[in-house]
Amino acid sequence: MVEIIFVIPLLTGVLAFFLPRNIGRSLLVITGAIHLILSGIIWAGKPEPIFPEYFAITPEGMLSLIVISLLFFLISIYTTSYLNISNIRSESVFTGSMLLFLSTMTMVTLSDHIMVMWIAIEATTLASAPLIYTHRSAVSLEATWKYVLICSVGIAMALLGSVLITVAMDMGNVNAPLSFSALSGIARHLDPLWLKTGFVFILVGYGTKMGLAPMHTWLPDAHSEAPSPASALLSGVLLNCAYLGIFKTNKIMHAAGLSDFSGPILMIFGLASIMAAATFILKQTEYKRLLAYSSIENMGIIAFGTGIGGLAAYGAMICLIHHSLIKSSLFLTSGNILMGFGSQLIEQTGNLANRMPRTFIALFSGFAGISGFPPFGIFIGELFILFGAFKAGHYVGATLFMLSLCVIFAGFANNIMKISFNPSEATIRIPESAALIWPQYILLGTSVLLCFWMPETLVQTVLLAVTTVGGGF
Amino acid sequence: MNGPMDTILSLALLSILFSFASSRLPGLIKVLAFQGVVVSIVPLFAGHHLSIGSLVFTLTTLVIRGFAIPLCIYMVIKKVSIAREVEPIVGYHASILAGLLLIVGATWAGHRFDLPVNTNSQLLPPTAISLLGAGMFLLMARRNAIAMVLGYIMMENGIYLVGTTFSMRALHIVEFGILLDVLAGVMIMAVMLQNIKQTFDDVDTARLRTLKE
Repeated sequence: MVEIIFVIPLLTGVLAFFLPRNIGRSLLVITGAIHLILSGIIWAGKPEPIFPEYFAITPEGMLSLIVISLLFFLISIYTTSYLNISNIRSESVFTGSMLLFLSTMTMVTLSDHIMVMWIAIEATTLASAPLIYTHRSAVSLEATWKYVLICSVGIAMALLGSVLITVAMDMGNVNAPLSFSALSGIARHLDPLWLKTGFVFILVGYGTKMGLAPMHTWLPDAHSEAPSPASALLSGVLLNCAYLGIFKTNKIMHAAGLSDFSGPILMIFGLASIMAAATFILKQTEYKRLLAYSSIENMGIIAFGTGIGGLAAYGAMICLIHHSLIKSSLFLTSGNILMGFGSQLIEQTGNLANRMPRTFIALFSGFAGISGFPPFGIFIGELFILFGAFKAGHYVGATLFMLSLCVIFAGFANNIMKISFNPSEATIRIPESAALIWPQYILLGTSVLLCFWMPETLVQTVLLAVTTVGGGF
Repeated sequence: MNGPMDTILSLALLSILFSFASSRLPGLIKVLAFQGVVVSIVPLFAGHHLSIGSLVFTLTTLVIRGFAIPLCIYMVIKKVSIAREVEPIVGYHASILAGLLLIVGATWAGHRFDLPVNTNSQLLPPTAISLLGAGMFLLMARRNAIAMVLGYIMMENGIYLVGTTFSMRALHIVEFGILLDVLAGVMIMAVMLQNIKQTFDDVDTARLRTLKE
């Protein structure tokens, strides 16, 4: 009965297109709550799927699932307030797409069949495109066009990669279901040449969706033009879903004994993304684009860590969880700033510390968290990745990693200081109501909590997930 | 040349060169429709065992690829009366030369792969690689948004060839996936195109240059 968790948002999503706005908003929160409860049940009981050939509960899927549930629930609470203030013309399309987006992302986390995974990731693109186009302006149209075109081409590459894996099965005379778990079991019989080719295509394809450089060009536009709750979902959860596709394929590569091939490629893409973010983050003039580049950086860090394996792979998984928590809180906070100052430009804002003190706390702690300061979890994740990199002897990679992180911190800090303390004459247009603040505080608080105390099941699940890609202590 | 399959595939290769030389959108759409028909019928000659189910699937693909999608795009350009030029970044002669080089390169690369199924075809891997490359080329070398969509469809044609002939496993779900991809992509792009036209009064993607870096 696992499938019910993505069927419910699918149904409510379709329903929301036809409902008046007030009911649509409550539906968003109610579905979020049901989703959270259901994923709690999945964590507690690990029920069997109805279609075991297509869906399975995997450790990495469970981690992504609980993150999606928690984030969506908090974001839906924020959204009800957000929609009261900001004027969105077609609100039913917005709420409906949000719910469909939730449904498709949940499906990604549960997919075990290679093609179902691909279909689910393709569906996330389709469900999220209307969200980016919500404001109906020329720039949002441009962002959506880029998003749809670049991601469709990317996903097409991933489809080709998935097809090539079936060729690898035929070449090796393997008769097994086309699922990640089955293939990991018999990976050594797969034809290595076709498997490698398939992996490269899948990495480029899902990597496009994950925002790895040099296929990241759509990401800053899409994440900055979407309404803030949608940006929070795009950045906090969608990137993880794309990463899941790469992670599971990497699992097959490891089981096939081809980790020498997949690891360095992941590391190169990861470092390229971190360095691309470091280059562009310095000259950003809009705060939402700043956050978007930081997402590219973090996805790079995660790919880099996964590529190294061992301790670093564990660190990458920790970064994945905490990046979702902190980045989504930052995007929600950026929504407050946008509504308060009415502009996305950093120079149009200022003196946030006095003007919007509660938003300022969320922004500043989020900034500290995303830059890798304790007591937030990314600190631990990045530390593990560095240890792992040195332990494995990747000195050049580790040095580049640290240097880029310093540059990104400098660029980020400079702009956050401007927003927080520069003098500003602007009048603040919104009151800082509880629903616009507490979701961010809870997200940041969860990150701090997980830094000091991780429940035993969570630690075990993370370890279980990363051992399959050569990770662990 | 061995048998009907290579003859059909050579038509697909020719359609690549024609598409590179097309300067006007209606022409390009016709070439793509022709290519869609040609590519859809390839699985019938691949020498696999044909069940009723796969026959129905092939015919559906044929109708969608060869007729429904081209017609849909044609209606869009009629409805929004888009400028008919494809607005090349790379000129037509250079494009054809690039196309020839692509086919030569694909032939060289295609013979280096072992295929699990014996298709008796010399041209299958080269054609699939060429279609993929040619689709990418159109995406990069044409500024007109519709020409880019057509490039995307050409790429999908290449993937269809790989998916239906290289391997016999999970055939239907692969076909289904590809169909979904093309349909969904084209639908959403058609909607987008109408909006681009309304907002910018043009579909030259050079206008979409506000967001950079």
